[in-house]
Amino acid sequence: MIEIGLGHYLSLGAIIFFLGTIGIFLNRKNVIVILMSIELILLAVNINLISFSIFSGDIVGQIFTMLILTVAAAEAAIGLAIIVIYYRNKGSIRVEDIHGMKG
Amino acid sequence: MLAHSIFFYFFSIIAIFSSLMVITSRNTVNSVFFLILDFISVGCLFIMVGAEFLGMIILIVYVGAVAVLFLFVVMMLNVAEQKQSWFIGKKSTHIPTGLIVSVLILLELLVVVGGWKYKDNLMSSSTLELSNISNTHQLGLVMYTDYILYFQLAGIILLLSMIGAILLTFRQRKGVKKQSYFNQISRDPASSIELKEVESNKGVKIDD
Amino acid sequence: MEYTVIFLPLIGAIIGYLGGSLIKYFSEIVTSLLVSISAVLSILLFWNGIQNNTYGNYKIFEWISSGNFIANWSINIDPLSSIMLVVVTFVSALVHIYSIGYMSHDPHKPRFMSYLSLFTFSMLVLVVSDNFLQLFFGWEGVGLCSYLLIGFWYKKESANNAAIKAFIVNRVGDFGLAIGIFLIFFYFGTINFKEVFDLAPQFLEKNIVFLGFESSLITLICLFLFIGAMGKSAQFLLHTWLPDAMEGPTPVSALIHAATMVTAGVFLVVRCSPLFEYSQTALNLVTIVGMITAIFAASVALVQNDIKKIVAYSTCSQLGYMFFAAGVGAYHVAMFHLFTHAFFKALLFLGSGSIIHAFKDEQDIRNMGGVRKKLPYTYIFMLIGTLALTGFPFLSGFYSKDAIIEFAYLRNSTLGNYAATIGIFTAFLTSIYSWRLIFKTFHGPYNNKKVLINETHESPIIMLAPLLFLSIGAIFAGYYFKETFIGHHSNDFWQASIFFLNEIKHDPIPSWFLLLTPILVTIAIPISFYYFVTNIKILEDFKKTNLPLYNFLLNKWFIDELYEQIFIKPAKKMGSFFWKKCDQGIIDRFGPDGISKLIKKISNKASLFQTGFIYDYAFAMLIGLSILLTYLILN
Repeated sequence: MIEIGLGHYLSLGAIIFFLGTIGIFLNRKNVIVILMSIELILLAVNINLISFSIFSGDIVGQIFTMLILTVAAAEAAIGLAIIVIYYRNKGSIRVEDIHGMKG
Repeated sequence: MLAHSIFFYFFSIIAIFSSLMVITSRNTVNSVFFLILDFISVGCLFIMVGAEFLGMIILIVYVGAVAVLFLFVVMMLNVAEQKQSWFIGKKSTHIPTGLIVSVLILLELLVVVGGWKYKDNLMSSSTLELSNISNTHQLGLVMYTDYILYFQLAGIILLLSMIGAILLTFRQRKGVKKQSYFNQISRDPASSIELKEVESNKGVKIDD
Repeated sequence: MEYTVIFLPLIGAIIGYLGGSLIKYFSEIVTSLLVSISAVLSILLFWNGIQNNTYGNYKIFEWISSGNFIANWSINIDPLSSIMLVVVTFVSALVHIYSIGYMSHDPHKPRFMSYLSLFTFSMLVLVVSDNFLQLFFGWEGVGLCSYLLIGFWYKKESANNAAIKAFIVNRVGDFGLAIGIFLIFFYFGTINFKEVFDLAPQFLEKNIVFLGFESSLITLICLFLFIGAMGKSAQFLLHTWLPDAMEGPTPVSALIHAATMVTAGVFLVVRCSPLFEYSQTALNLVTIVGMITAIFAASVALVQNDIKKIVAYSTCSQLGYMFFAAGVGAYHVAMFHLFTHAFFKALLFLGSGSIIHAFKDEQDIRNMGGVRKKLPYTYIFMLIGTLALTGFPFLSGFYSKDAIIEFAYLRNSTLGNYAATIGIFTAFLTSIYSWRLIFKTFHGPYNNKKVLINETHESPIIMLAPLLFLSIGAIFAGYYFKETFIGHHSNDFWQASIFFLNEIKHDPIPSWFLLLTPILVTIAIPISFYYFVTNIKILEDFKKTNLPLYNFLLNKWFIDELYEQIFIKPAKKMGSFFWKKCDQGIIDRFGPDGISKLIKKISNKASLFQTGFIYDYAFAMLIGLSILLTYLILN
């Protein structure tokens, strides 16, 4: 346990990933929490990539991490814009009220 | 060695704790704050491992841009505070099953991690390679030569998202006074100045 | 020439139907012309046959040739078939000409004429066949045309029902015939007449087990063939379709149910005489059935009120005569009676058609009467027909009918004597009801409520001319052909087409016996005149006191009701059971209906998955992911 190896970093990534996924369908609040859970998932993937990159000495992992970072930021922006518009049209972003796709 | 593991455990426990709070806190603003804490701790973790450029970038981009964006939106929209906690909900029938399934995934992931056969020349953290050039230098050496295309692609993605966000949310507000410099410049004296004869003791109407 | 005789009616049928709308009278003229040419040619063939003995087998083409089993389409002209050719084509031609006049008001003339020609063609194919298969083809063909013609006025529901009844009852007979043919093929290995008849003596002792009963092969075969003949010729038990078949137009009744189709059964029995002669049981059965039919039909005809039904039962009765003539071994006499019967029965039917036409489609004889001055020609022709039918001395019926009774007597067996007695009694009854028809229609007071007596008029010449030809035949055919058909040297004519196991006896017959029938027949005239014209009241009282007997006879011995109870009700119940329980309950429920209901239910349940909430969709994704992961890990 004292000796921190690759496995520890990977399990950290796994735990954060797991928390992110359950955050998607176990929240009863609003849609923004879903977006934050997605950010958590992406963060977990970043941790994985960085740890592999450091532990095998290959720099490509970090480059890919940067790209993922970029995409995460872009997607957060667009997602929030969609939520803003949805709020303008429907007036509520509570998860229970969003069931237009029912049936 | 010991410091390494102490720091690791410290940061990772904070990260796990704060991500748990992100999804379970009642107030949405609190969730965003905990998200920020999560990002900071993971960034510190990255710095500790040796990828300091990325750690800084996470702080700047994630915390400084994405999380602040989240805060903006949370404050702009009328997010109602949830009265009850998320365990007691209307449709809580599949929360237990969901939890069970997710725990299953977690355990499987851990099993995978535990039984992994690493590459031979994989180093342990104790022998982290320290090179002469900094992490930033390393990244720069590779990114602008071999992976220039992906770099450009990333730029285009950002441009697209910017255009998209503006396009989606922009709306013309009626009744807002704005300056139109074009109109200001294109005024000519003939239509804007008028000479009036003023008699004494009698005023002149200006606003009509 | 033989080919033309057979195929001209077929060509007439096709052209007549297709070209019906071209010119006004196109189909009638074409069909009548072609069938008349056929008639003339067949008379020529017959004459040639008598004079020059030119008989032969002309092959059209080979139908089946599989190993040793060969069946051809061919035209087999021998004495038996040439007589039938003459009868069929002659009567058919006259009926075609008659229908030009009778059906002149009908909008569907081309269809009618082409059906008539099609029927003629099928009958011709039947009589000139040289194997059982072609005979069966013709058999079915005439059954089909009978159905089409009886149900000609298809908008009338009773006509439709009658047509179906005729077809189905015929089918029962055809089933028997088919089994007979199967037996023949199975044991003899061939179905050509010549080969079968040559092989027949070898199978005399052969017994087979059929449905658990052991019996002689030849007897069984003849039995089944006779069942077919019973169906087609409306013998007792399979006769129920004949009175209902009067729903068709009168020319149809004249052609099919007097002269041609119903005689196909007699033709079959006579044609298979080499087989029948070897089985005494079958012959006895034929005699018994023939006798029962004769007396049954005569008794029912006594009380019928529809003019066509009286003549129909009269046909049934005369067919019974023909069959029991065949049953006592006198095939040539049966054929002779068939020959003369064709003439006078067709004459009677067409004459009644003329009467119906005059009374503006009235068929009940209680609504007629006293028109002999208004319809003189019809009256004379009907008189001739009745005289011939009853066997009045020196007309044709006298020779043929009395010959039957004589030959029955000559057999000297109990069955023969019994048959002769019944024959004489039936002749008496025949005379009574035939004269009843004449007197009720032409004598006595005028009873029609709807048509005034001044409006009844004689039929046009186109309807009377065939009647003239037929009456000539009815008067003279018996006398002229007596020697050829049933005389002492009749074997010179028949040669090999009819087979007699024992020599025909020409013993002298006691004179009292010879005179018995004509005297009875002649006495019947004044008797029926008295009871039906002069003093009707006696019969009315008799009817009132014997109402059960009257009803029994009027309802045709309640055979139809019996069949309804035994066959029709159970069949309906079974059919309805199979429909409701099996078809609807099982096949439909598990088949189309069931599957569609199931799909609806499943899709209703499946649509519950789409709740509209995002987290539910994400949850589904998660479950899928976990399953995938588990599978990968466990592998």
